[in-house]
Amino acid sequence: MREAWTTDRAASPMMALLASPLGAPVRAVARIRASVHVKLLAGFLLITLLFIAITAVSLRTVTETARQTNLLDQAHVRVGWSRLIEHALAMQMHFTSMALLAQSEDSVSLILRENNRFNDTLARLETTAPPEERALIQAIRGAQDDAMATVADIANALRDRRTADAMTALRTRQEPIYQKIESLVGSLVAAEEKRMASLRTSIEAAQGRSLSQMAGFAVAVVAVALIAGFVISWSFILPVRGFHGFLSQVAEGRFGGSIAVPNRDEFGELAERMNWMSGELRRLDDEQRVAAATLRGLNDRLELASRAKSEFLANMSHELRTPLNAILGFTEIMLDELYGEVPPNLREPLVDIQTNGRHLLRLINDVLDLSKIEAGRLELGVEEYSVQEIVDVVHTSLKSLAIEKGLAFNASAAPDIPPARGDGRRIMQCLMNLAGNALKFTHHGRVEIDVRLDGGWLTYRVSDTGIGIPKEEVENIFAEFRQVDTTITREYGGTGLGLSITKRLVELHGGRIGVESEIGKGSRFFFTVPLHADGGHA
Amino acid sequence: MRDRTVLHIEDNEYNRKIVRQLLSRTSYRLLEAADGEEGLAVAQRELPDLILMDVQLPKLSGLDATRLLRADPRTAKIPLVVVTSFALSGDDRRAMDAGASAYLAKPYSPRDLMALIHRFLPEN
Repeated sequence: MREAWTTDRAASPMMALLASPLGAPVRAVARIRASVHVKLLAGFLLITLLFIAITAVSLRTVTETARQTNLLDQAHVRVGWSRLIEHALAMQMHFTSMALLAQSEDSVSLILRENNRFNDTLARLETTAPPEERALIQAIRGAQDDAMATVADIANALRDRRTADAMTALRTRQEPIYQKIESLVGSLVAAEEKRMASLRTSIEAAQGRSLSQMAGFAVAVVAVALIAGFVISWSFILPVRGFHGFLSQVAEGRFGGSIAVPNRDEFGELAERMNWMSGELRRLDDEQRVAAATLRGLNDRLELASRAKSEFLANMSHELRTPLNAILGFTEIMLDELYGEVPPNLREPLVDIQTNGRHLLRLINDVLDLSKIEAGRLELGVEEYSVQEIVDVVHTSLKSLAIEKGLAFNASAAPDIPPARGDGRRIMQCLMNLAGNALKFTHHGRVEIDVRLDGGWLTYRVSDTGIGIPKEEVENIFAEFRQVDTTITREYGGTGLGLSITKRLVELHGGRIGVESEIGKGSRFFFTVPLHADGGHA
Repeated sequence: MRDRTVLHIEDNEYNRKIVRQLLSRTSYRLLEAADGEEGLAVAQRELPDLILMDVQLPKLSGLDATRLLRADPRTAKIPLVVVTSFALSGDDRRAMDAGASAYLAKPYSPRDLMALIHRFLPEN
């Protein structure tokens, strides 16, 4: 998997990051057997859950702060109540003093009212008091009861007009009690204030704590979301990069490689498909290569065989020529009566031998020509030649045949043709072949040879009013041993090689050959060669 | 003046026979050789007036024999006709390059051969 992923040419910082331990979770996510859809959904869900968590944490902090604030409020109220008690106590003392001064019990009811207020407030304090304050409150209540007992005594003394007793009671009993109560209530207030102060500190601490908690949590959530995003996205990007490199290889024609990705999702399936494709391509490529090699080998062997055949034919033609020389030579000197007079009954068979011997010679010559061309051993003897001379020689050689068949036979070359370059004898052979064919296949009418020069190209044309060539045969007419049908060979003679040789010779000169023909009306053969042919090899 | 001498170098007995027959009615003296080496030896020994040399010969090819004869000052000037196997195959050019005075394509007409002999070597 690693080598597949590192085929990427540019080793980016991202790649370095993936080589670090961060690469492990990326690969782990890739290996999860789930679709890309599910993986993405899970990623988004994770991030959503993290945000829900951060919301819950902040809610909890807000609630806690509210509770602490509430406690502070309560403490505040209790301090107020303590102050109320102090006030009620002061009022009691005030009214007790008033009663003594006025020498009447009227103020006693006012004292009782203040006492009730004192008791009510104390009861409220007691119900919400923390345990450590309960003893203090009990002590206050006890002292208050004593104070009320003293008030009752004072009130009785006043009613009985024992002012002196009342004064004594006030001074010796009531005042110390009130002082005691006052100091107790002072302690209570001090306790409550202390609690308040501690609550205030605690709230401040809690607020600071929750603030840093929230900040830390937020940072953590963002970090987790980033990492999750990175891991999930790179678990998809890495195989895509791998595919990119892999497909580049395939595009360059390097088949058969394989790609390995740790993904077990759609990308994994894609990689499997690509490997399969690559294997198939490799297989097809191999098959094609094997086939091409086989064909090449076959072709080489065929070419060798063809050359061997051509060389064999060339040698055979050589060997055939020597006995043929003897046959034709003896026949000729016999007919020339070098051996004495030839009896009339032997003259005809001797001429037959000569005719057939010459035909055999033409066949051998044609086969030799063709085999030499095919073996690539025919070279043109390029030199200057006269087109007019060629036309004249061909015309002179074939004139007697035309006269014999009663055909009009004209040959002309345009007067403006300068001396040409090429293998004059081969050009003559070509023209001789075409003109000979024309005369052979024309029974009445005319045969015409003409040569024109047009833009550095010579066009030799032979037109006849002969039997013509069927359309379907025109394409094959230049192939070896191809006469329109075999009866023609018997009727008209010829080797069937003339046109094929002519075509090759024209092509050796860098030219081309063609024919226009209409059955029953005649044919027009033409070939075009450069005025200055440089000559080539077959 | 002695009779003009023609040396015919040819490995095929029948072709030698044709030339023998052709010259039998003339005043030419005919020498024969059946391979290149023998032909070279006879030519250097007899110094004929005309040499007819076949191209394809055993032991020493006609073209090589021609070159050797041309390299030898005694035989360098003797008219020499190379009988090529086929005029169109390029043998003619090779024959002239080797130093032949003329060439004649095989199969040749006996009449043409006689005309060539007469051209290089008029009869006495």
